Amino acid sequence: MQCDRAHELLGAYRDGELAPEERRAVAGHIGTCRTCSTAVADDERIGRLVKKFGRIAPPPALEPRLRAALDRAEETSLPGKPVETPHLGMDAPKARALAKRVAALAAACLVAVMATWWVMDTTRHAEQIEHDILSAHIRSLLQDSPTQVASSDQHVVRPWFAGRADFAPAVKDLTAEGFALLGGRLDYVADRRVAVVVYKRRLHLINVFMWPSSVAATESLAPATSRNGYNLLIWSRNGVSYCAISDLNAAEMRELQHLL
Amino acid sequence: MTDKARFERLTLPHMDAAYNLASHLLQTRADAEDAVQDAFVRAYRAFHQFEGADIRPWLLTIVRNVCFRRLQERRRADNVVSLDEVSSRSTGAAFEADMASADRSPEQTAIASSDQALLAHAMAELPPVFREVIVLREIEDLSYREIAGVIGTPVGTVMSRLARARTELKAILNRMTNQDDRNAM
Ligand SMILES: [Zn+2]
Repeated sequence: MQCDRAHELLGAYRDGELAPEERRAVAGHIGTCRTCSTAVADDERIGRLVKKFGRIAPPPALEPRLRAALDRAEETSLPGKPVETPHLGMDAPKARALAKRVAALAAACLVAVMATWWVMDTTRHAEQIEHDILSAHIRSLLQDSPTQVASSDQHVVRPWFAGRADFAPAVKDLTAEGFALLGGRLDYVADRRVAVVVYKRRLHLINVFMWPSSVAATESLAPATSRNGYNLLIWSRNGVSYCAISDLNAAEMRELQHLL
Repeated sequence: MTDKARFERLTLPHMDAAYNLASHLLQTRADAEDAVQDAFVRAYRAFHQFEGADIRPWLLTIVRNVCFRRLQERRRADNVVSLDEVSSRSTGAAFEADMASADRSPEQTAIASSDQALLAHAMAELPPVFREVIVLREIEDLSYREIAGVIGTPVGTVMSRLARARTELKAILNRMTNQDDRNAM
């Protein structure tokens, strides 16, 4: 590895933020380059100095002050009312009000999928996705059938997506685990075609939306849950984002997440 | 458990990190305390939006944003003085005196004073955007990805900014220690 390039990577090397092969290359270079080994030693020394003396401790009065401020905040803000479980027969204004609430909850978890969950401002894009998923879910409940291909056989449902979706969505027969496979359909979320696999647990319909994602994370991200109404679970795995939405309870939703 | 109890249980353990970041960014105790309180109340109001696994970077994002808003307000109030000048030269020394009065035994103060004062001065000379990456990485041990989330930049920017911040800090420290050596002679 060239000294210039190695020098640029020294910080990331020390921070353990390099991929294994880069790490090995930089380590090899440091072993032979005096400039770089000195730079690493300097950084190490300064890092230790900052770690040791850099922390500024809060005064003891801060914690009681924060607790008091939170008490005041609690008094002046109304806690969110629980969302009612939706019924197919509900009237339009109620459905709209519910949709708004669920959309607000969905906003938080969709931002999660976009790996910027700590950003408070919901992007336009996330708003559109959240809106579309909610609409699609409600639509599927109102239609005669939530599926375009109705089958409990994964070997029927899976090939149906081939040529229709631009990736291979997970389709599993989980009847033995208590999630009956109803089938699949295509839907539109944020102007793109997404795959939806539909399951049923007792009387609860569960729509699992899937689309390819730029999130590299292989582990599940931020599960999100609403209160008493629709529950949403969002995760991302192997380059696919999942959003499961249902009025099923959160614990059983999570069970499904682990099974998929 | 109520939402508030849950919120307190999750966030209060990170009060130290929140105050540390705010202190480094704002450089005065009073402002840092106000900013932390402001951030905790905002975080509490937005708590229903938090669904992540680790609340610390989320909380630090809010603290960071509150602090930068305050720095901007200061700049507006000062009108002509730049952000970096406001937060470093004009307040660095005052801040050090301010912090020295914090709760510490005389022995601790004596042992720590020279290195600690040196570091406090050097950190105060860094622009806030450099200071925050140093604090988040070296003191709070956040990953590049977490830092990127907190400061709202791509991971690549974290890497290059951290590199520049370290180079800058090293240069300031070298300059200061050389001055000390000359003064001692
Ligand atoms: Zn080199």
